[in-house]
Amino acid sequence: MLLAPALAIYTLFAIWPLIDVFILSFQDWNGINENREWVGLRNYYHILYNDPVFWVAFRNTVIWTIMSVIFPPVLGLFLALGLNQNLIGRAPLRAIYYLPVIIAPIAVATMWRWMYDPFFGLFTQLLTNAGLAQLIPDWLGDKDVALYSIFVAYVWQSVGFSMVLFLAGLQSVDRSLIDAARIDGANRRKIFEHVTLPALRPTITIVLVLSTISSLKAFDIVYGMTGGGPAQSTQMLALWAFTQSMEIFNYGRGSAVSVVLLTITLAIVVPYMSWSQRREEDAQ
Amino acid sequence: MATVEIDNLHKSYGALQVVHGVSMSFQDGEFIILVGPSGCGKSTLLRMIAGLEEITAGTVSIDGTVVNNLSPKERNIAMVFQNYALYPQMTVAQNMGFSLELSKIPKAQITAMVKETAEILGLTPLLDRKPSQLSGGQRQRVAMGRAIVRDPEVFLFDEPLSNLDANLRVKMRAEIKALHQRLGSTIVYVTHDQVEAMTMADRIVVLRAGRVEQIGTPLELYDNPQNMFVAGFLGSPAMNFLAGRLAVDGSPSLVLESGETVALARRPDVGAERDVVLGVRPQDISLDPTDGTAAVVKVIEPTGADTHVLAELAGQDVTCVLSERLDLKVGDEIRLSFKTPAAHFFDLKTEARLSAGN
Ligand SMILES: Nc1ncnc2c1ncn2[C@@H]1O[C@H](COP(=O)(O)OP(=O)(O)OP(=O)(O)O)[C@@H](O)[C@H]1O
Ligand SMILES: [Mg+2]
Repeated sequence: MLLAPALAIYTLFAIWPLIDVFILSFQDWNGINENREWVGLRNYYHILYNDPVFWVAFRNTVIWTIMSVIFPPVLGLFLALGLNQNLIGRAPLRAIYYLPVIIAPIAVATMWRWMYDPFFGLFTQLLTNAGLAQLIPDWLGDKDVALYSIFVAYVWQSVGFSMVLFLAGLQSVDRSLIDAARIDGANRRKIFEHVTLPALRPTITIVLVLSTISSLKAFDIVYGMTGGGPAQSTQMLALWAFTQSMEIFNYGRGSAVSVVLLTITLAIVVPYMSWSQRREEDAQ
Repeated sequence: MATVEIDNLHKSYGALQVVHGVSMSFQDGEFIILVGPSGCGKSTLLRMIAGLEEITAGTVSIDGTVVNNLSPKERNIAMVFQNYALYPQMTVAQNMGFSLELSKIPKAQITAMVKETAEILGLTPLLDRKPSQLSGGQRQRVAMGRAIVRDPEVFLFDEPLSNLDANLRVKMRAEIKALHQRLGSTIVYVTHDQVEAMTMADRIVVLRAGRVEQIGTPLELYDNPQNMFVAGFLGSPAMNFLAGRLAVDGSPSLVLESGETVALARRPDVGAERDVVLGVRPQDISLDPTDGTAAVVKVIEPTGADTHVLAELAGQDVTCVLSERLDLKVGDEIRLSFKTPAAHFFDLKTEARLSAGN
């Protein structure tokens, strides 16, 4: 009973915007007008059938998400394994790798935009000095390259997050299991396969779920680096939802994109979590 | 089956030295128990034999070969851990067969070997279970099965029974002993439980703070402890110690600091009057209403078979185990006799045993 006011406030601030977006996706609204006009499924019809940008964004989001559940977690795992060893300076190294996570994405975007500058940027300079000037692409200006350039910045920013989760997971690996495996004659690879990896299963689930969610939401870093360009080639669903609402002032369509995105997220995450939970129970 | 030779072994963790030059050698087929208080370096020693811990200085040899630079696998040893260390995602059969699988032994042969070992340990009905579906005692047994199935030269046990309840511990003690007789292999077993050491070992190694205090058969150590530490560590309840001055003339007796005199059955060869510590096991103290030294009863614990009495004698606590059924109350005065031929004498300063005399 005492929780009732808190719950009410929580609902108001957390749930209400969600419901509002859902309602908005069936309406036509420019964000200023007092009237919101009911249009039924017309917003959905438009984005799915008459909006080529939506499908570019959709495709990019899929590519981005697939890359995001592979590269940052795998790199994070290797960093964590390395920094879990007893080496000097591992504490500062851990801090350094984690640092990008706490920098605001928009600042990361700005930094990397400098580094990708076609004339003065770090990468251009490096390749020029190495005598490879003819190989330099227009990092953010080439529509076949830009998405991957942004993704590299995204990996740089997010790898520390996976690393920290894996480091925490590695602390739960039972030392005596490693000893037992060594006595049984296991080499490093076998120990990893039969002791470390099984102990990391729950962590892997968490890392993959969080990576998926955060990659589907990818917005600020793209917004800050290319704004979706060139020619919408780096457009993403989250960014498209934002652009539709805040720049084109079509809140109905923006909300419809958001709802689609939310649906995709749930459609991936919920089955994966229940599958991995079932597997966890089987393993017991 | 193999001999184990440990020569002047040292171990340091950075600046902290925890094993200070330990030497000992174990016969083929011997059941050796390392005992000592917590933190004395038992596990460290065992792990150096296993190859899990780097050796700072000295050598470990198995069957005459120095194994310092061999991996645990190449030493042909098996180890049973305190927390069993079973792989949680594997079944009992997979746990037991893992080392064989890593040695690239054919599947069919592994199955046969696991089955045979499971038969010995009564694990056959459990082969398809996961460790989480087993009781503590069953896990313990699987851990032993995993060690046995490899038929190693030397078995290493690190406090394998300390997570079991008292009844199960007694039962497993007997089983391990029987297993040792059956397999005839060399066993090095670590425990801090002196009862385990006394009941199971062929020879006991008593360790303190990274040094060997004494090595010998359980009864050698019980009857002839070389110093007060060994004397106090083995035997339950622990030996009583009374400090006093030993007279040279007259009937053997000890004068306590409080001035009380304790009559003795014999005295060691000490030449002149000197300060000593008398050690008497609780079981060797008796009641003597006429000649005994006065003491006041503080605690009475009847165990059924006998009665443990804690009494205060000249300001010191003395425990005695009396086999008579007594009608005693707290606060009663009793007279205790220390006139036993099994009395021990130690130097007050060095705590070393003083040679027996008459
Ligand atoms: N990795 C380590 N780093 C530093 N010191 C250690 C390490 N491992 C053990 N020690 C120290 O070495 C000493 C001996 O430890 P060890 O584990 O061998 O004791 P033990 O006799 O097995 O004790 P217990 O009965 O509690 O298991 C202890 O003082 C311990 O603090
Ligand atoms: Mg230990």
